[in-house]
Amino acid sequence: MRRVFDRFLTGLTALCALIGVSIILMIVAAVVWRGGGAISWDFLTDQIRLVGASGGIFYNILGTLILLVTALAVSAPFAFGIALTHGVFLRKTRSRERLMMWIYVLNGVPSILLGLLGFIVFVLFLGWGKSWLTGGILLGMMMVPTVAVSLSERIQALPSRYLDAAAGLGLTESQRIWSVILPQSFGGWVTGSLLGLARAAGETAPIMFTATIFAGATLPTGIKENPVLSLPYHIFILAQDSFDPATGEKLWGAALVLLLLVFSLSLAALPLRLHLHEEAKTS
Amino acid sequence: MASVGFTAFAILFLIGMVGIFLWQSLPVWQQEGWSYLTGERWFFRQLEFGILPMIYGSLAVALIALGFSVPIGVGAAIFAAEILHPRLRVPLKIAVELLAGVPSVVYGLLGILFLRDWIYSILTPFDPLSGDTLLTAGLLLGMMVLPTIMTLSDDALRGVPTGYRQAARGLGLTRAEVIFSAIFPQAWRGILAAVLLGFGRALGETIAVFLVVGRQDNVLPEHWFSLRPLIEAGQTLTSKLGGAETHIAYSDPLHWAAIVGLGLVLLAIVAGITWLAAWLMRAKEVSDAPGI
Repeated sequence: MRRVFDRFLTGLTALCALIGVSIILMIVAAVVWRGGGAISWDFLTDQIRLVGASGGIFYNILGTLILLVTALAVSAPFAFGIALTHGVFLRKTRSRERLMMWIYVLNGVPSILLGLLGFIVFVLFLGWGKSWLTGGILLGMMMVPTVAVSLSERIQALPSRYLDAAAGLGLTESQRIWSVILPQSFGGWVTGSLLGLARAAGETAPIMFTATIFAGATLPTGIKENPVLSLPYHIFILAQDSFDPATGEKLWGAALVLLLLVFSLSLAALPLRLHLHEEAKTS
Repeated sequence: MASVGFTAFAILFLIGMVGIFLWQSLPVWQQEGWSYLTGERWFFRQLEFGILPMIYGSLAVALIALGFSVPIGVGAAIFAAEILHPRLRVPLKIAVELLAGVPSVVYGLLGILFLRDWIYSILTPFDPLSGDTLLTAGLLLGMMVLPTIMTLSDDALRGVPTGYRQAARGLGLTRAEVIFSAIFPQAWRGILAAVLLGFGRALGETIAVFLVVGRQDNVLPEHWFSLRPLIEAGQTLTSKLGGAETHIAYSDPLHWAAIVGLGLVLLAIVAGITWLAAWLMRAKEVSDAPGI
C-alpha cells in the first residue's frame, strides 16, 4: 500500500511537470507555426504599412530597443544604491530585512499601476504627452527590484577573505566598494539586468498610456510628444482586431520576434544564474 | 551616501504612488464614501461609481487561476525538487524559466485565437454568449502564474536541509512519506508564500485578462455560490484600468477619481498580499534551524 502510494505520487507529480513543459512547448509551437512564414528580411527592415496588414516592424523593434536601453540606464543607479545599502551598509542590522520587504512589495506592484502613475505624473502634470523617456523611466523602475536582488545576492556571496584582505590593506569603505565589491559583483548586475529587461521587453500596460503609439512614429527627436512604436503594443492593438487574415500572419510574426527577443535575454541570463543557484543550495 | 539616497527614493516612490493615487481619487471617496467599494453599479454617465463587480471579477479570475496553477505548480515543484534526477533538473528549470518569460500580450493573443474558441465549444451546453468569460481569463492567468508558483515552491522545498530527508529515509519511510511528514512541515511557509505571490500576480495582470475577459460591466452573481457569472463576460479592476475609459475619464474630475480609485484599491490588495508573502518567507529564514 505504502509503495503503491509512493508510485502514485511520483506519477502524479511527473504529470504536473509534464503539463508545465508541454505548455511552453505548445506556446512556442503555436507562435512559430502561425508566425514563422512572416519572418523575412523585409519584415524586419520595412516600416509598418496598411495598419499592420503590410510592410514590416522595423520601427517597432527599434522603439522597443530604445525603451529597453533607457530602462537599463534608469534602473542601474537605483539597483546599485539599493544593493549596496542592503548588502554593505545595513549588513547585520534589522533594517536590512525591512528594506527587503519594501523591495518585495515594490516588485509586486502591478505594472498597470506604473502606467497609471506615469500617466498622472508625466502626461497630466508635466505635460510630456506620450514620450519614450516616460516609458523608459517606468520600465526602469519596474526592473529595479529584480536587478537589486540579483546584485545584492552576489555581494553577499563574496568570499569573506576578499573583504578581509581589503580591510587588511587599510582601505576605506568607499575604496573597498569601488575596488573589490563592485568589480566582483558585476556579474550579478548583468544577470539581474538581463532578467529585468526580459520582463520589461514584453510589458504593454506601463507604456500604453504613456509612451507608445500604434503607427506614425519613427526616431524620437526630443522628449515631449515623442512617442515610439513598440512590439508589445503593436501586438496588443492588432490582437483586438484579429479577424483580418492579412494582418494575421504579420501579427504572429511580430509575436515571434518579441518571443525570440525575450527568450534570448532570459537565456543569456541563465548560465550564471543556474550555476549560482545550484551552488548556493548544495553548499 | 548616494546609495542611501537612491534607496530612499525607491521607497519614497512607493509611498509617493500611494499618496498620488489617494489624492487623485479623493473626490470619489468624498462623493461615494464606502459605497464606492460596496456599490454594485458603475455608470459613469450617471456619475454612479460602485466597484464591487470589478473586485468580484478580479478575485474570481485570480482564484480560478490558483485552482489551476497551485496543484500543478506544487506538484511539478515536488517532482523537480524531490524526485527528478539532479541532472534533469536543469532542463526543467530552463523550460519553466522560459515559460515565465512569455510576455502577457502573447498569452493574450493565444487566448484570443485558441483558448477562447475551445472554451466556447466546451461550454456550448450552457449556452454562453461568447468565449470571452471570466473562466477563460482565469485559465489563461493560471498558465501565466504557473512558473511563479512552481519556481518559488521549488525554492521552498530545496531550502529544507538534506539532513531531514536522510533522517526520514533512514527510518524506513518511502519517498512520499518523507515528503509529507518531513519536508512539508518545513516548507509549507515558503509554499504558502509562493501561492500568495502567484495570487498577487494574477490580481495585477492586465493585458492578457483585458483581451479575453469580455469587459462587461456590472456583473455579479445572484447569490454567493452561483457559478453562472464565471462563464459569462465580466470586468476586473485591471481590465477597467487598461480600457478606453482611462483615456476619456480625466476630463471629468469625479470620473477620473473613480478610475484612479481602482488603482488605489488594487494597490492596497496586492501590496497587502505581497507583504504577507514576504513576511512568511522572512519568518522562515529566521526560524531555519541549522542542518542536522
